Amino acid sequence: MTTESLDVNKLFEKWILDADTKMDEIDLVLKIKEYLESQHPEICGKCTPCRDGVVRIETLLDKYVDGTATLKTLKELESLVYNLRASRCSVGLDIGKNIEVVLENNYHVLYKPVKKY
Amino acid sequence: MATITINDIPVKVKNGITILKACESIGVKIPTLCFIEEINEIGFCRICVVEVEGEQDLVSACNTEVTNGMVVKTDSKLVLDSRANTLKLLASKHKFNCWTCPKDGECEFYDLLKTYDVVFDEFGPGIGRGTEVIPGSGISMDQSKCILCKRCVAVCKEVVTAKVLKFRDDDGMNPFVSPTVGLSFDETGCLFCGECVKVCPTGTLHETDHARKVEAMLRDPSKFVIVQAAPSVRASIGEVFGYVVGTPVKEIEGKMYKAFKLLGFDNITDVNWAADLTVMEEGTELIDRLQNGGKLPMFTSCCPSWVRYTELYKPEYIENLSSAKSPHMMQGSLIKHYYAPKYLKKDPREVFVVSVMPCTSKKYEIERPEMESDGVRDVDAVLTVRELAKMIKRKGINFRHLEDYVPVSPLAKFTGAGTIFGASGGVMEASLRTVSEILTKEPLEPIDYKFIMGSTLEYSKGVIKEATVTIAGNKLNIAVVNGGVALKEMYRRIDEGKKQYHFIEFMACSGGCVNGGGMPIVYDLPAHEVIVKRSDALYTQDQQDLPLRKSHENKTVLKAYEEFLGKPGSEVSHKHCHTTYSQKEYRNE
Repeated sequence: MTTESLDVNKLFEKWILDADTKMDEIDLVLKIKEYLESQHPEICGKCTPCRDGVVRIETLLDKYVDGTATLKTLKELESLVYNLRASRCSVGLDIGKNIEVVLENNYHVLYKPVKKY
Repeated sequence: MATITINDIPVKVKNGITILKACESIGVKIPTLCFIEEINEIGFCRICVVEVEGEQDLVSACNTEVTNGMVVKTDSKLVLDSRANTLKLLASKHKFNCWTCPKDGECEFYDLLKTYDVVFDEFGPGIGRGTEVIPGSGISMDQSKCILCKRCVAVCKEVVTAKVLKFRDDDGMNPFVSPTVGLSFDETGCLFCGECVKVCPTGTLHETDHARKVEAMLRDPSKFVIVQAAPSVRASIGEVFGYVVGTPVKEIEGKMYKAFKLLGFDNITDVNWAADLTVMEEGTELIDRLQNGGKLPMFTSCCPSWVRYTELYKPEYIENLSSAKSPHMMQGSLIKHYYAPKYLKKDPREVFVVSVMPCTSKKYEIERPEMESDGVRDVDAVLTVRELAKMIKRKGINFRHLEDYVPVSPLAKFTGAGTIFGASGGVMEASLRTVSEILTKEPLEPIDYKFIMGSTLEYSKGVIKEATVTIAGNKLNIAVVNGGVALKEMYRRIDEGKKQYHFIEFMACSGGCVNGGGMPIVYDLPAHEVIVKRSDALYTQDQQDLPLRKSHENKTVLKAYEEFLGKPGSEVSHKHCHTTYSQKEYRNE
């Protein structure tokens, strides 16, 4: 594990323990993306939910960065994150659970900017 | 025994079986994509996931063993959503040009997408993981359709034992399946047996297309197109048009000929005829080797995959191969140099010979440089049964309602010995019927094979059957070998040298040509049952429908010897019916 990914893991520990963050939307999205990118070397490429799911989650987060996210984006994001529970090993399972925590604690941050109608 | 609950139904199952098997035992079907029983139980695709009470996450049914008291749910919303999402992810990296796809309606992936009503909101069907198309003379690979199920890799390793296709995951985010990177299939150790094509759930691995070429030739008025159909084609072509597996050959054969006629072929012949001819040539060669001390054991050479296997991996045995060409190459050569000039008054150069084969390897065989006489290629195109079925559909022919047709060509008259060439053991039996009669003037007793390996037909392991027959006072040790694992095992036995074998029939596909790589794909029956049913159909034709059952009784073959070839093993027959082999190089990683 790289030092960078260690830092990110610490960040997630903080998120899980503190259960609230004061980050704004862009910052949160970028931090999640950073975390996902740090997990790339761990991904073995064998099972679908993790190999293709992580890439898809990243592209969905890009929509937040671009400001084009809609309710559907958020819904898709949720279902893909939850689908990581079907992964083959703990790499995918852990990524899924970490981001589930983020969604639980910061749902409002991700919900706020999306175009509702 | 373990007691488990599947969808609120308590079930008693054996310890140690998987959830998938347990569900199957009570008729609950769980979809699978990467799973092949005993060969690929790796849980890559995650389509077979189920919910197990007490487990935090979803588990894959194909490789999770049951435990006592397990509570399994196979159709909860969570499970169905997960399957749909996983399919959506796979679809996002799959190129959907289904209408041109060689899989043509048999695509398992497409069926699953339909079953789970996958809706694309945020991202749509993709453009493919890779763009490369890996060429090959027998099979090709279009990586834009690969869904990384790894079935082909498992089959290439476990069933064929060639280990050509590999799963390359150096970059875990972008893995891919390919033979040695940068090489075509011809440059690798690929046998072109087509087992990978049959198991591919999408159209990624497919036979190299010859149908377009054939259709162009059928439209070309300057070309005289002659078709020849292999023995096993009539045992399977009906399956594409709704006939059950193992439908008697006599119901299909006439319709098949009629379909050829409607497709526009100028003349219809049958490879069964050349199968009879092969028996004459190969049988004579065997007698010659036995009497004059030639290289023994003699190997049959009808299976081009097997010939390639020997040339690539066991070149020291090249001399053991019978020099006879495979039946359709013999017939191709004779059509062009004997039948067309003599009976049809056509120049060999304006004749275009098309073989319909159960095999992808025959596509490779016609490209071999040895396969020509007087500068004219023996066979110009090879269609697999699947390609032929597609052509029939494209032409709008209603196969089920066709009337029977009997071709008039003398090269379409055959005996029962010719027709059993399509099943494993058939080449051996047909040859011995003739050899025995030539040597002893008496008909051969039925042969009882003793199974050495795989007492039943096992798709994954192959079969070695052995027998000892006494012909004219000589005790001949014969063997019938098919399936990649069995090929290796047989070579080990020959190397060991404990027993002197005399004549061995080899086929690369388990069960012989009836289970070939170009056959229609049957999903609802296990492979070994398909093999048995198709073989039975061929043997029934031999036993019940055909008056003559020995190749040397085939009058048209004898006439061909009289008019053109002279006698078996003559100089002319060597020119047209025999070939040479040489050691082949392949590049390994």
